[in-house]
Amino acid sequence: MARFVVRRVVLLVAVLFAVTFLGFSAMNLLGDPLVNVVGVLAELDCEGIEAGLVEDTTVDAASRDCDTVAAAKAQYHLDQPVPVRYVLWVGDLATGDFGTSFQNDQPVSQVIREKLPETLILLVMAQIVSLGVAIPWGVIAAYRANRAFDRGSTVASFGLLSVPNFALGVVLLYLLALRWQVFPSAYEGDNLGGLVFSMVLPAVTLGLPLAASYQRLLRTDLITTLQEDFVHMARAKGLPPLRIMFRHALRPSMFSVITVFGVSTGALIGGSLVVEQIFGIPGIGREIVTAVVRDDFPVVLAIVMLVACTFVVLNFVVDLLYSWLDPRVRAR
Amino acid sequence: MADLAPSAPLLSVRDLHVQFPTERGTVNAVNGVSFDLYEGKTLAIVGESGSGKSVTAKTLMNLLPRTAQVSGEVTYDGRDVRALAAEKVKHFFGVQMTMVFQDPMTSLNPVKKVGEQIAETLRYHLGRSRSEALEEAVELLDVVGMPEPARRVSQYPHELSGGLRQRVVIAMALACQPRLLIADEPTTAVDVTVQKHLLDLLDELRRNRGMSMILITHDLGVAHGRADDVAVMYAGRVVETADARTLFFDMRHPYTEALLRSIPRIDDPVHHRLDPIPGRPPELIDPPDECAFAPRCIYAQSDCLGGVPELSGLVGLHRFACLHPTGTERGMAAMSSNRAAGATAAGLPVTGSGGGSG
Amino acid sequence: MTADDRKTGNPTASGEGPVPRKGRASRERLLWRFRILRLVRSSRVPDDDPTEDAAVRRRLGFSFWLAVAWLLIMAFVAAFAPMLPVADPTKVAFGGPREPPSADAWFGTDALGRDVFSRTVHGARISLAVGGFAIVFGMVVGGSLGIVAGYFRGRLDQAVGFAFFVLLSFPSLVLAILITATLDRSLLVVSLTIGILAVAPVGLLARASTLVFAEREFVAAARVLGARHGRIIVRELLPNVVIPMGALTLLGMAIAVVAEGSLAFLGLSVAGEDAISWGKMIVDGAGLRDLQNATHVTMFPVVVMFLTVLSLNFAGDRIRQYFDVKELAF
Repeated sequence: MARFVVRRVVLLVAVLFAVTFLGFSAMNLLGDPLVNVVGVLAELDCEGIEAGLVEDTTVDAASRDCDTVAAAKAQYHLDQPVPVRYVLWVGDLATGDFGTSFQNDQPVSQVIREKLPETLILLVMAQIVSLGVAIPWGVIAAYRANRAFDRGSTVASFGLLSVPNFALGVVLLYLLALRWQVFPSAYEGDNLGGLVFSMVLPAVTLGLPLAASYQRLLRTDLITTLQEDFVHMARAKGLPPLRIMFRHALRPSMFSVITVFGVSTGALIGGSLVVEQIFGIPGIGREIVTAVVRDDFPVVLAIVMLVACTFVVLNFVVDLLYSWLDPRVRAR
Repeated sequence: MADLAPSAPLLSVRDLHVQFPTERGTVNAVNGVSFDLYEGKTLAIVGESGSGKSVTAKTLMNLLPRTAQVSGEVTYDGRDVRALAAEKVKHFFGVQMTMVFQDPMTSLNPVKKVGEQIAETLRYHLGRSRSEALEEAVELLDVVGMPEPARRVSQYPHELSGGLRQRVVIAMALACQPRLLIADEPTTAVDVTVQKHLLDLLDELRRNRGMSMILITHDLGVAHGRADDVAVMYAGRVVETADARTLFFDMRHPYTEALLRSIPRIDDPVHHRLDPIPGRPPELIDPPDECAFAPRCIYAQSDCLGGVPELSGLVGLHRFACLHPTGTERGMAAMSSNRAAGATAAGLPVTGSGGGSG
Repeated sequence: MTADDRKTGNPTASGEGPVPRKGRASRERLLWRFRILRLVRSSRVPDDDPTEDAAVRRRLGFSFWLAVAWLLIMAFVAAFAPMLPVADPTKVAFGGPREPPSADAWFGTDALGRDVFSRTVHGARISLAVGGFAIVFGMVVGGSLGIVAGYFRGRLDQAVGFAFFVLLSFPSLVLAILITATLDRSLLVVSLTIGILAVAPVGLLARASTLVFAEREFVAAARVLGARHGRIIVRELLPNVVIPMGALTLLGMAIAVVAEGSLAFLGLSVAGEDAISWGKMIVDGAGLRDLQNATHVTMFPVVVMFLTVLSLNFAGDRIRQYFDVKELAF
């Protein structure tokens, strides 16, 4: 077990470095961060100006354009090659410095600290919604497999899986916020109650399709488990059906759901970009879209890294969860 | 046995039929099975794979899939078992009657400690507290001969060998002192070396507790010396049933005879050839209207192909469903005419050495 | 055999030994199973129904053909949109702003008075083009990497596996945003971006099936006969690996279409006034006022997109069952 964990941790660290390096070089090589700091000045041929080959077109004599460019380069380490910049960036990360937004000179860490709670609440609520819907749904469908309820729910889950979440979000917003006015159409983040209440629709938008896929997996695995001998044994022991379902059958049937729990968080994070947009939630998802549109590299980079790392760590945790679910994985 | 038994049987099965609708047609798994089991007795149900013996057991325990169609009467101590199951009566299964399954690898929940699995029954049926139930679980494991029972309760099934797991399953079944235990091939999936230990253990526990037992097996040798009565099943029917002594030494059905010939015996000479039963068990979908064993039977005559023979005699006596029973004149005559023809009426070749009439 | 005997593998009277059962899987094998599971699940392939008979899976059924018919209509409409007798989708004030559906404009008009029907028809172009291109790219790149890794094993396999793992570590929409943020948003770039998302899942599937087939006798036979690696890969492995990959094409396309829609919804899909996409149309009408007063502007593209994705998923799932791909994936 210990060796297993050590190997997994080594892999985890390697993946984290690879993910950050890939993201970092993509942003730096595919785009030009300098443009975003100094605008058109990035086009200046400062080496030519220094050498006197190109005319210096600086208007304001007090601060020469090339000095501005040089200062910017120095500040953001843009005069260094990418690998060096990456090392510097990681070093900064280690000291808690996520860089500074190009847009408003705010430290990125502050941006994240402000926006993260909303997104976290949204994601947690979405998972609660989906598990809360999927577990009873899957249990009933498996218990009455191939009866009317089960057949209907198969169709329903297929439908839910085929609704893109932006479409579902818009439809829910229209029906429940505008037409029937059950939920607020605008985000209310002043107090916790209002916040949670206005997060219900977004969480349902994210969670419902996920619930459908959880339900399908759980139902399939439960049907298989319910045919296992140990379930027959539990029935022969005279235990009531509900007890058998929850005490015996459910846990060994959760593997697929747990597996997808890890993967789906990635999908949920992706979905949160869209859903925060629809429902006007000032979270990480909306922030990254805004930053992308404004080419605010440090913010995009930091959020992408944060998200990717969370995702990797979460899947690592999921691997460990298997061993809780099945002691056979734990042993040997 | 009828003369020795008390007036009313503990378990009585009458004209049990079980059918499974499938894609290819209806499977007639059990076709009119009847038997009685008296308090403190052991009934062995013997048959090949697909003979309906396991389905019969599962029917008794109400473990069949919902699609199964069951008819017939199952009475336990004067109560209708199927009605009890339908009404979801509590504390009947597991307390009055319970079952041990074939494969201890799969009949224990892999994600629960074995102690919990035993204690669970005690807590649910007898209302024991958690710690009381665990203590009792240790005692039960001790009773079934588990070494170091106190340590075993906190182990998971995968940490135990097959033989030990089956002991856990037996301990679990015995927890609430059931009056009837159904053991479905309890030793088939464990190592040969521990099979006898387990069978003797079951037998001993049954005697000590005055329990009744239905022992289901494909191996007549397992039934020998442990069963009071034996019912031989073939193609969903009981083809012969009698007290163990009569069945082993004065059998009438050719299938029983063939089964006995197919098992090795300790007094067989070295390199003695066993006689396997020719052919395979019949399909249970749309069976032809003939004796199901006829195609594999060396006694088969043309009248065997003319309809399913009825089980003769009264319930509780030696009964058999055969027109040309072995050990009778009719049987001898059938055998010799088949030998002379070189083949049975169903077309099975018969050679001179192919097994004589006992 | 009776139902329960088939399940428990009851030995016959002729005296077979105990039947080995599952439950002894080593940790490595279990973990490997979960990894494959994760791959299969992450591409949202629903599992087979264990209560269904194999015979049922062999039938495609009426609803399958219904889904195919819808997809064919969409494909036709996408291919020939400019030639169809519909209004100019970019023409502002084709009608008044936010007019409800009428005989002239079947789906009504949007805030700028453009014909929603015509825009929906033209929207199929980008959605399906991006979806189709992306999945082809994913199959070619991911498929080749997966086969090569699965065939040669060793260091190469580890390297490719690690690369897939890294790619999968980005939530897909985040990775897509990262790429489209830094490059210009042409049709090619957007398709490529979504194609990259498909590389790792397709590659892992190809690798898994290659591993299965590389063990089979016909590959060993070819090797013994002295066939070169390239020949074995192309002649022996490729035809077998293509089947499971091909069976998942439509399911992959469904994911790609949704991904494009999400990008478009965020304004990060193909740029340009005439680059109409369903996602863009939906976001155009998703403002509270439009939603309140001119629901049709969003709802028509929502319905069309839903039907298309549903058809892709449904037909894809039927095909997957038909080829029994799960068996290969495990």
